[in-house]
Amino acid sequence: MYTSTGSTGPASPVLEDGPEHPKQASAWLLLRVWLELGIQSFGGGTATQMLIYRAFVERRRWITPDEFTRSWAMVHLTPGINLLALTVLIGWKLRGVIGVALSLAGLLLPSVSITLLMTAIYSGVRNQPLVQAGLRGVVPATVGLGLLMSWQLARPLLAASRREGRGSLALGTLLLTGSAVASLLGTPVILLIAVAGLIAGFHGWRSTSASGDDA
Amino acid sequence: MIEPLTYFWLLLKASLFSTGGLGNLPILHEDLLARGWATERHFAEALAVGQVSPGPSGLWVISLGFLTAGWLGAVLALVAISLPPLLVLAVERVYNRTGDHPAVRGFIRGLSLAVIGIFLVVLAGLMIENGLDIGTALIVLGSLALGITGRVPVVALLALGALAGIAFY
Repeated sequence: MYTSTGSTGPASPVLEDGPEHPKQASAWLLLRVWLELGIQSFGGGTATQMLIYRAFVERRRWITPDEFTRSWAMVHLTPGINLLALTVLIGWKLRGVIGVALSLAGLLLPSVSITLLMTAIYSGVRNQPLVQAGLRGVVPATVGLGLLMSWQLARPLLAASRREGRGSLALGTLLLTGSAVASLLGTPVILLIAVAGLIAGFHGWRSTSASGDDA
Repeated sequence: MIEPLTYFWLLLKASLFSTGGLGNLPILHEDLLARGWATERHFAEALAVGQVSPGPSGLWVISLGFLTAGWLGAVLALVAISLPPLLVLAVERVYNRTGDHPAVRGFIRGLSLAVIGIFLVVLAGLMIENGLDIGTALIVLGSLALGITGRVPVVALLALGALAGIAFY
């Protein structure tokens, strides 16, 4: 779109169709809010998600609670890091393409810099005997946390399966253990993931058409 | 020798075909170990740094990129994990039209469960590579127990692990 000055008289307002909540979310403010979130984002995804809710829904009211819940559902259907997808979606809703860029930059700048700094420092000392001994202890501690995380990720999925009935729960458990065994036997990971998704997707599709018939 | 383009594609592929910050771990583990571009130790180190550092847990990949391919690796990793989340905009369009279909929900759930199952196998591999004995087994149980309470910060947990490692080995 172009505007030619002088041809349409002195006081012609430039009309633009912008996003729906542009009133308070200026570019700089948006960047500042995300930078603050990025700096506070110690403690992983769930803690940061809560901070985002407080900042955008409760404090600034740029996003309604319903919108946030819907966004959160969509984020889980998207590949990659959920928190980044949420950041992209909120940025887009508030200021379009620029909003996405500013939001991602704000969230990532502090955390990526610190991650890089820590890795760089670590890789400078990683071959010293003391560090190697320490790492032998850190690895099992990470594994312990990994086990806990697996449980925390699996629990809501299995709980949702259980609510759907015994068949769904059995299928969910089978997919979890079956993929572990198949991966031990050397099945390519992508194939495994895709097959598990298709099986469960087919089950979900069939169970709705079945319950539709019953009703 | 690491070829940057292939390396970038492997990183991108792993994030494109998984959800969550750690979902890409099984695929990356398979691809990078097969080519000899990363070791079990690199994965263990990157995961540990990722746990301690701020931000989404998925940033561990940036640490992995740095450890295996220096600054270039880190930049490639950052780009590779930033691209797939942009697809949320496409997801939103489709979602607004079709709604939350049970088949889609089922697909994502099945995919996630498989990733968790494979993740457990990867964890077991890390343990075996690191040396399986009473000391390391005790540390696993200890960090699991302290983790369940939810009161001990991750940084403190890993620091305790490091101290135990220095004391034992």
